[in-house]
Amino acid sequence: MAALRDGDFAALQILLKAPSKDAVRQLCQECFSSPPAALGPLAQRACPGLAVSAQEAEQLVSALHNLTRHVVYRGLTGAEDILRLFPENFHQNLKNLLTKIILENISAWRSEAQASQISLPRLVDMDWRVDIKTSSDSIVRMAVPTCLLQLKIQEDAALCGNNPVVSALTVELSKETLDTMLEGLGRIRDQLSAVANK
Amino acid sequence: MGLLNFTREPVPEAVSADMHNLNQLSAQQFSALTEVLFRFLTEPKEVERFLTQLSDFATMNKISLGPLKNIVKSILLVPNGALKRNLSSEQVRADFIALGLSEEKASYFAEQWKVNSPTLTRLAVGQTLVINQLIDMEWKFGVTAGSSELEKVGSIFLQLKLVVKKGSQLENVYVELTLPQFYSFLHEMERVKTSLESFS
Repeated sequence: MAALRDGDFAALQILLKAPSKDAVRQLCQECFSSPPAALGPLAQRACPGLAVSAQEAEQLVSALHNLTRHVVYRGLTGAEDILRLFPENFHQNLKNLLTKIILENISAWRSEAQASQISLPRLVDMDWRVDIKTSSDSIVRMAVPTCLLQLKIQEDAALCGNNPVVSALTVELSKETLDTMLEGLGRIRDQLSAVANK
Repeated sequence: MGLLNFTREPVPEAVSADMHNLNQLSAQQFSALTEVLFRFLTEPKEVERFLTQLSDFATMNKISLGPLKNIVKSILLVPNGALKRNLSSEQVRADFIALGLSEEKASYFAEQWKVNSPTLTRLAVGQTLVINQLIDMEWKFGVTAGSSELEKVGSIFLQLKLVVKKGSQLENVYVELTLPQFYSFLHEMERVKTSLESFS
């Protein structure tokens, strides 16, 4: 998480050269979503549109990234809180525009941050089927119901970038195993309710 | 010998002689031997104990252990085949008689078979092939307090550790679920339970 630096607000004023409000909006979104490593290429793409030097573009992109990420990190929700971040002599209209854009995007950005949080592999899908085992090499005739459960598990998104690795795990459950599992899940549900009701 | 229920293959020649020897045992001796056999069948892992008990039986009844083991091998052919084919006690009795065992002893063994067959069937079913059997499930849930991107998060996470038997090895699988996913998972598992129960 990047912290706000002194030079950031000076760099932000480069936005005054932007062709339109929508261009600013677009750039804000791209700067937020971009990981720090991808800011360089992003600056290069932004350069021509802003008619600035490569170095200035880099400073701007970095500043915008820091500002947007800082607001999301602190969980600022009010216009006042955001306006307060800017220094006294900052361009008034630009300050208002940036605040407006940030407020528009704040909840989407917060969800994005939560979704890309590190975590254990995540469950993405679950399917099941019930089979009846009618015969085997150890017993010629039987009628034993059994459950096949397939869990689709996705590795940590942050590690995989744009190509998340999804693996499928198929597990067989007997009726006894399923009953025990349901007992455990029921206990989780009860504890969750207890926590929610506090 | 007529058609047997417990097997379609021809029975080894020695079996008739073994049955003849068995007929020489008294009712008490036969009952004791049957008990040893069924104890082994219901706990097939206790091989040492079985051999010890056979050896004790041989000593107590002044029978040589070697011939006794052959007799036991012949006897065991029937319950093993009967288990595989879900035979009734009448069929087991008929098979022993066909092999040459006396009616009295055949009836006695068939009775013991009837008593023990639920346990034995359960054991056989338990040995049926299971793919990726779920052995254990551990879980924890908590609240994510903060992260590098969000100072205050306050969302609930649920983590499951599934222990799965793949072949002869155990593998741990870690999964994280969100709360809605958990409730959906619980709901689906309850549907599976209903489905399994309707087929039992």
